[in-house]
Amino acid sequence: MNPGDQLKKRLQHLVALLLVGLAVFGMFAEPAHAEDLAVKVRVQNQVQDAGTGKTKKEPVAGVKVVVADTSGAQVGEGVTDDKGVALIPLPAKADYTVTLDESTLPEGFALQEGGAERQVKGDAFVTSTVTVNYFTGAANRATVGWWSQFAQRLADGARFGLILAMCAVGLSLIFGTTGLTNFAHGEMVTFGAMIAYILNTDRAITPWLAFPVAIIAGGAFGLAQNEFIYSPLRKRKIGLVSQMVVTVGVAIVLKNIFLRILGGRTKVFAAFNNQDCKRVGPICVTPRDATTALISLVILVGVALALQKTRLGKATRAVSDNPDLASSTGIDSQKIIRLVWILGGMLAATGGIFRGLDEGVGPFIGSDLLFLMFAGITLGGLGSAYGALVGSFVIGLFVEVSTLGIPIMPGKNWPAPLDWLHNGVPSELKNVPAYVGMIIVLLVRPQGILGRRERVG
Amino acid sequence: MATDEQTLSETARIARAALANVAPEPGVAKPDPIMTAEGVRRSFGGITAVDVERVEIQRGSITALIGPNGAGKTTFFNLMTAFDTPDTGKWWFDGKDLEGVQAHKTADMGMVRTFQLTKSLTKMSVIENMKLGATGQKGEKWWNGLLPFTWLAQEREIEARADALLARFKLDHMRNEYAGTLSGGQRKLLEMSRALMTNPKLVMLDEPMAGVNPALKQSLNQHIKGLRDEGMTVLFVEHDMDMVHDISDWVIVMAEGMIIAEGTPDQISSNPAVIDAYLGAHQGKSLLEDL
Amino acid sequence: MNWSNILTATLSAFFGVNAMYFALSAIGLNVQFGYAGLLNFGQAGFMACGAYAVGMTAHYYGISFWWGVPIAVVYAVIFGLIMGVPTLRLRADYLAIVTIALAECVRLIVRSVTFKKYFGGSDGINQFANSFVSKTPFNPSSKYSLYPFADSVNAVGSVLLLVSFAVCSVLLGHMLAQKWAKEERQGFQTKWIISAVAVMAFLMIASKQTEYDGLSFKSLVVGWILAAVIGGFIYMLMRSPWGRVIKGIREDEDAVRSLGKNVYSYKMQALILGGVIATFSGIMFSVSRGSVQPDNYSRDVTFYVLTALVLGGLAKVSGSIVGPMLFWAILSFVDAFLNELAKSWGGHVDIFGIPLITESSHIGVYVQVVIGLMLVFLMVFRPQGLFGNKKEMALDGH
Ligand SMILES: Nc1ncnc2c1ncn2[C@@H]1O[C@H](COP(=O)(O)OP(=O)(O)O)[C@@H](O)[C@H]1O
Ligand SMILES: [Mg+2]
Repeated sequence: MNPGDQLKKRLQHLVALLLVGLAVFGMFAEPAHAEDLAVKVRVQNQVQDAGTGKTKKEPVAGVKVVVADTSGAQVGEGVTDDKGVALIPLPAKADYTVTLDESTLPEGFALQEGGAERQVKGDAFVTSTVTVNYFTGAANRATVGWWSQFAQRLADGARFGLILAMCAVGLSLIFGTTGLTNFAHGEMVTFGAMIAYILNTDRAITPWLAFPVAIIAGGAFGLAQNEFIYSPLRKRKIGLVSQMVVTVGVAIVLKNIFLRILGGRTKVFAAFNNQDCKRVGPICVTPRDATTALISLVILVGVALALQKTRLGKATRAVSDNPDLASSTGIDSQKIIRLVWILGGMLAATGGIFRGLDEGVGPFIGSDLLFLMFAGITLGGLGSAYGALVGSFVIGLFVEVSTLGIPIMPGKNWPAPLDWLHNGVPSELKNVPAYVGMIIVLLVRPQGILGRRERVG
Repeated sequence: MATDEQTLSETARIARAALANVAPEPGVAKPDPIMTAEGVRRSFGGITAVDVERVEIQRGSITALIGPNGAGKTTFFNLMTAFDTPDTGKWWFDGKDLEGVQAHKTADMGMVRTFQLTKSLTKMSVIENMKLGATGQKGEKWWNGLLPFTWLAQEREIEARADALLARFKLDHMRNEYAGTLSGGQRKLLEMSRALMTNPKLVMLDEPMAGVNPALKQSLNQHIKGLRDEGMTVLFVEHDMDMVHDISDWVIVMAEGMIIAEGTPDQISSNPAVIDAYLGAHQGKSLLEDL
Repeated sequence: MNWSNILTATLSAFFGVNAMYFALSAIGLNVQFGYAGLLNFGQAGFMACGAYAVGMTAHYYGISFWWGVPIAVVYAVIFGLIMGVPTLRLRADYLAIVTIALAECVRLIVRSVTFKKYFGGSDGINQFANSFVSKTPFNPSSKYSLYPFADSVNAVGSVLLLVSFAVCSVLLGHMLAQKWAKEERQGFQTKWIISAVAVMAFLMIASKQTEYDGLSFKSLVVGWILAAVIGGFIYMLMRSPWGRVIKGIREDEDAVRSLGKNVYSYKMQALILGGVIATFSGIMFSVSRGSVQPDNYSRDVTFYVLTALVLGGLAKVSGSIVGPMLFWAILSFVDAFLNELAKSWGGHVDIFGIPLITESSHIGVYVQVVIGLMLVFLMVFRPQGLFGNKKEMALDGH
């Protein structure tokens, strides 16, 4: 019997013993109910920025909230703190009604969708706390001419497209060289933003140092994932589908670690905050956004040129095209793969920092972009780095611009998806057309814009 | 070869006689072609992998397709069996135009192929592998799946046929093992016998001997000849010239995507174009050494 | 530390509503991923189809709640077609990407203000299942135990549950026996019986520790019976020639295609069949709560179902039923354990000066980390599940 079997045997015995112990214990112990339960109420004011059209959320303090059980008896109450949060302890996992006292809202604030009264179901207590969100404030969009709105969206879209492309190139390169579709790539984006945020805001380090360090950390993070997870898996000859499932597990773990470190709320960088936008023709852009867009553009052109011209870039493309052939011509494919992970990590981190400057840093900023990256890569052609670059840029542009309708249709009484053309896609659904677009691309031209058909046999 | 003439079976004599008067030149017409390809081209990016002007496969014969690595033999197989689509060209099987016909339909029509890299279904048992090959199974409709009485009788029939084939290919002792536990050569055998479960008219074998040990090779040879005796047509890719000589009635040579020569085995081994193609591809090694 | 709390939480989860609806979903995912090798990452979308089909009956169509069941099946078929048509001819990654994106689309749409009229926005739909809730033989406001000798037990329910217990224990026993039998068949019978009896005993003891409210209890009875019946069907189907083709496709679809099978059609059948089963998961979950909420169908739900399935073992019906039970037992154990730990440490858990838990909402984070780690380690070291078969495992290297 080899040591592995012996270990397994011991483990089996241990499990059996535990089960028996549990059973015996279960016979004598009494059922229990009590737990440390609470409902967490969060009140936020949504303000729409007239210039960018983006919605920001700000906490609302001093709002009174009452919790009652199904019989209507009050079981707890609380007042929101300066984070807009009230934590109200509860006696048991059961159904409750949470009511917000609208008279305690600040002057001029009104509740948006959902109403003041909310139901909390007993089953919603997956953990011991259930969160109830209230949003207040009316959106007040400035009336600007359609063309200048369009120009603004185009500019924002281009910026977003560049960031998305930066994030997606690494994903595509990793896919190209190893065949792995990495569902944890979004977490590489978040990682960069998080490190930059911690250094810059928590540790008060100048962004000129903090951001490069975060980018290097992103590269190291990518390398570490390859060395400690995927390289061993490749050596063990674990199939690609299994590896893909592993990336899902890695994503879950990382996302939650980030959530624990950062907390659930979106944070703002200390650096380059609160800049006023400068008018450039019809559009309004902050110096920060203009700079990040320019840097992104330079980086992307640099990556494209490097892939085209340098020896390593050519080797990378060779490995993507045909790993066997590449290794038979003396290219060390493992080295290339390592390089690709580092580069992918650094690009993702950069994208994350820029995205974080734009939208604030939260634990899910990367994973929220993942599907758009996939859409971009699919559009460009799975495995083609240029395709990913172009495709993601187009997707980013499309997502931003699609929220602005083309006011050409007479009458506004069309049912929902049709009136989007006229009124623009509602921002809560702005990713939907991109996903649908991806599916249409797959139907019409599965290899994407720049991809190739595959080999059989 | 003179020694062979005496041991030739009845079907072999018929096949060779039918091909005796066919001119040994690329694209030549055969008396009774089962498969015909015309103007079939397929390129990948810059490389033209297949560019066949015309080729016919004689019914009831064993035809060898040879050529250096990268000549386009596998791609040609893929194109004929609809695993890949050509950029241009037409091809027929048994008189039926195959353009736009899906891969699984070609198998239904009686055209079955094996793969250069064996595709045994590793986590299924050998007998399950075999039973999968049978066509027209009633139980393969999902609504029948739940009603065993609709397919149990047929299943027993299929199993008997599969067992007979396994015995013939000497795999019967592995019947209940996972296919993944077979050796490389045994997998080749399994894939071939599984293909036969479809009751094909034309069997297309992509390098059936690669990785098979010499002892097994001999019996494989006999099996392939046996197929012809049972009325099937065989088209196979092979590098071993001795074996090609031994069993084939006709040889087609491919290089750089094109058919460069055709003829009986004897005609081919003395064809300068063939020697040239091999020498060109293999930089000066002698033909026999390499093949 | 109150071990009794932890034990109760763990054991309740074993047969709880969560395990029940996960089991239904996992049976479906098993058809797709376990047997056919289709990496469907949009199972939550299929579940949402079921939930919203029944939810919308009263809320939007104004018809009886029971119509929700056939409507759910229609939704699932349509959803499956939308997923399958563009992707099933392409390589596995595309299916994963498209299914996850489509499920996300569904979630975005049903929780949107734009379509609130149909789907109730982020609050979802409540109080639609009255005809299910009110017909219950169990009083929703009292507690029911599975323990046959408890005071509050309902005879009908406990008989039904004992039947499903028996099914479960047979399945579990079967698996344990396979695991423990050194030479496959030798000593099989006795070990099989011993394991089954042991499992039954464990279940009885577990049941003493647990109780459910009336509505949950009814849903559990219906849900587990449904899981057993559907599981039985899948078991038969996978032993038919249809199942053989499906398994062949998982191993190598080109080989199957070369043998004259319409692989595309079979993949579509598997995808839709699995989706239709998952839709029942959504139905059962929503009626058990009397409400439909969009955020219960996020992408994470798919991943948790996947983890639960891998835990029980792919390509085994028993695995898809036992896996979710173990999954929720483990989760609830970790959750309750950390809660107790935090409580006994005064609300703060510091290790080496790192503040791991400072408020109770942090516990959920660690529970999810455990899920992620479970998925990674199972996929790498035990792709055949906790009770995997050695021979099959040896083949994974190939
Ligand atoms: N999917 C593909 N993509 C790119 N090149 C391919 C593909 N399939 C085949 N080729 C190329 O086509 C040529 C013919 O290959 P193949 O048919 O496999 O040759 P053979 O089977 O004769 O050895 C080779 O140069 C090969 O690299
Ligand atoms: Mg070949």
